[in-house]
Amino acid sequence: MESEGVPPQIPIQAGMLKTTAACVAGALVPGLGHALLNKWDRAIVFFGSICAMFALGLRLNARLFNPDFSDLFSILKFLADAGTGLLYWISWLRGLGAGDPAAYTYDFGNIFVYVAGLLNMLVVVDAFDIAMGRKQ
Amino acid sequence: MNSHLLLMLIFSVPVSLVFTFIAKNGAKERIKYFIFLLGSFILLSIVAGWLMYPFPF
Repeated sequence: MESEGVPPQIPIQAGMLKTTAACVAGALVPGLGHALLNKWDRAIVFFGSICAMFALGLRLNARLFNPDFSDLFSILKFLADAGTGLLYWISWLRGLGAGDPAAYTYDFGNIFVYVAGLLNMLVVVDAFDIAMGRKQ
Repeated sequence: MNSHLLLMLIFSVPVSLVFTFIAKNGAKERIKYFIFLLGSFILLSIVAGWLMYPFPF
């Protein structure tokens, strides 16, 4: 039942340039795409959550998988890790994420980093939907 | 930090938060959905853990 007197909010479609910029920015820095679309609450939550998961993963002795295309699982692990955008590339270039398979928390750490990357991919899709006017 | 349960709880919070903000608008709806997701994560993980308890046979 719709409430009377309150006009329904119609999502506004952003231009092609803004949509592309939001998706690229979101892929590079978690939440930045939403910030460009003035969705500040989402931007802050996405940035905080994904950065925290990534940092905690590294703290738990996760390994950052290199761009290795020798087999399917290596590709999938790399894609999941690299989903965090600049967080992955900066950490990888700085030599972080060597990983310690003997550590008790190694698997947990890897899961944290994979999921941070996969969540960021979802966040980019969400930014795309907002920019296209499919959701608020 | 060697507790599986604690790590699972820490994992559940940001994941539930991201899913909540993707799926819902409005503070009240978000709070309800976040609690539902977090509770589901915890409960189902414990249930799955007990289901796997007898393995390997």
